[in-house]
Amino acid sequence: MRRATTAGTAGKVAPATRALQAALAAEQVAIYGYGVVGSHLNGTARALATTDWTAHQVASDQLTALLQARRASPDPAAVAYQLPHQVSTAAQALDLAAALEDQVTSAYLGLVGLDEPSVRMLGARQVRAAALRGAAWRGRTLAFPGLPASARAGHRPARPG
Amino acid sequence: MAANPTRRAVLAATAVLPLLVAGCRGTQALGTPPRPAPDVARLRAAISAEEEMVASYQAAIRLLRDGPAAGTGRGPVTSATLAGLLTEHQEHLRQLRSRLVPGSPLAAGSAPLPAPAAPGLPAAVPAAVSYLGRAEQAASDRLLSQVPHVPASLAQLLASISASEATHVPVLRAVGGA
Repeated sequence: MRRATTAGTAGKVAPATRALQAALAAEQVAIYGYGVVGSHLNGTARALATTDWTAHQVASDQLTALLQARRASPDPAAVAYQLPHQVSTAAQALDLAAALEDQVTSAYLGLVGLDEPSVRMLGARQVRAAALRGAAWRGRTLAFPGLPASARAGHRPARPG
Repeated sequence: MAANPTRRAVLAATAVLPLLVAGCRGTQALGTPPRPAPDVARLRAAISAEEEMVASYQAAIRLLRDGPAAGTGRGPVTSATLAGLLTEHQEHLRQLRSRLVPGSPLAAGSAPLPAPAAPGLPAAVPAAVSYLGRAEQAASDRLLSQVPHVPASLAQLLASISASEATHVPVLRAVGGA
């Protein structure tokens, strides 16, 4: 989903810029994906998909502005994206919406790992917003939205003693 | 004497998570090591808050089982819902405690079980469920406010738990909390 040019220049790019680009990429996938989601839903669910699609548009604009303020060029959206799975039923559309929110949640958790307080807070607020949308689509909650299982397995300090 | 466990607790809180999270999609930007001045007191506060939440859920589940609502037909659904949310809080608590190394007072395995009493919980079921909803929102907000003040790895854990707790609010509303 990330463009090759981003990966190719990643070594020179500031961590904050890279994380913002990653969040933007996740938002762009979500915007595209919600179009697919909405096309398989009706009524209230479709209206909810439209609401969430709009939220991702707004977030994408916000990230674009933040990147521009840092004199970075926001990576443009692709024409189409490889989505996590095929959608041909309403149930699959709900699954896709939840999966889209999962990847957005993870991307924003990357911002929370940065040093700048304002970027961290933006990330944390968006982690919460995406988790709320994801839980609504999934119909159940998660203990650790956005955190990979490997990060929450029981662990010990890296350095013994 | 006390300084050493505190320092080691700090290491436990900072060492592991950024590397692991950096491996997941969209979070490639976590190469910088965490700053060496985390506030263990904030971690302990988060642990205490989570213990209170666990105690409140346990008390609410007892209320459904033994209180006036027992046997009304609404109890089982609400009880199962609360049990599911309680499980997530217990996972939160386990993770937060694991950020403190063994031997420190609140470390995983060494801390006492949460006190069974939840003094603020109302005795009527709908009011108790509402109380839990307000407690979840407040806990979520409090964790969010800590995010800028702790090391990166702990910030990510707190942000994730804050999000989880926020998602409990609509669930509680759906089972009848006002």
